[in-house]
Amino acid sequence: MNSIIFGLLAAISLFIFFNLGKVKASSKQTNRDDRINWGASPWTKKNSSSKRDASSGRIIEGEAEEVNKD
Amino acid sequence: MARHAALETFGRSGNPVFGDKFNQSQGFVGSERMTLDGTVNKTGVLLGLCFFGAIISWNIPNPLLMAGGALIGFALAMYTSFVPRNAGITAPIYAFLKGLFLGGISLVLEMQYPGIAIQAVGLTFGTLASLLFFYKSGLIKPTENYRLMIFSATFGIMILYLVNFVMNFFGAGIGFIHSNGIFGIGFSLFVVGVAALNLVLDFDFIEQGAENSLPKYMEWYGAFSLMVTLIWLYLEILRLLAKLRSR
Repeated sequence: MNSIIFGLLAAISLFIFFNLGKVKASSKQTNRDDRINWGASPWTKKNSSSKRDASSGRIIEGEAEEVNKD
Repeated sequence: MARHAALETFGRSGNPVFGDKFNQSQGFVGSERMTLDGTVNKTGVLLGLCFFGAIISWNIPNPLLMAGGALIGFALAMYTSFVPRNAGITAPIYAFLKGLFLGGISLVLEMQYPGIAIQAVGLTFGTLASLLFFYKSGLIKPTENYRLMIFSATFGIMILYLVNFVMNFFGAGIGFIHSNGIFGIGFSLFVVGVAALNLVLDFDFIEQGAENSLPKYMEWYGAFSLMVTLIWLYLEILRLLAKLRSR
């Protein structure tokens, strides 16, 4: 009984893998800004993004206005 | 366009494993590209070879086959990680050798706890299928933080196993790794969880590789990385089941 249940589980799972594996992931998965950049090391990425955050913190967003002293 | 995107994504890497290999890919022709179909088929070939090795070792139990499979397989895994271009040759040999090891270790545990091998096989493939579904549907989204967390946990486990391995030479060891107490079972559950979540990283690597049209040999590399995680997951599930059955 044990062999039948777990054997069936393995067979069904392999069937799912060989069919679902060939299907492209959903747009919810692929259209994201925070996807992993496999070309960069995770440690380097973390450091560079924290430096970028620190420098971007000094930029004040908004529109420039001319100051009239009259 | 797609090839350009691949170079943009991977070509400027600081990672020694990826950097040079992706720069060398500039000369490949358009039809020779990595696809999801190809990677899944190659994973099937590697699984078949692993299963074939396991059948041999299961029917002809020999400690030399097991030890040889484990050690040479480990060396080949290291080589393949740094030279993905040759994965088409090294990955099938790796899968067969690891099969020899898995067949032997499964037989040893099967004699102690009958039925444990098929349970571990069923649970390993069950985990693979369910995580693939969660990944494809977008329920689990691997991000840079996710990768950092899983890499750190995997690296920590590797260091712990290495320390335990060295301590064994001096007649000592880290007790809870092999104990069947609450702490030992909890540790095994944690390791199984980390190994399973590594599968999501493999799926994402393969998906992005196919999207960015990497060279054809990366199909073998993607299938190889999936095999490494699956073999680790199987061994950890086997260990967890053995701990539970020995209580």
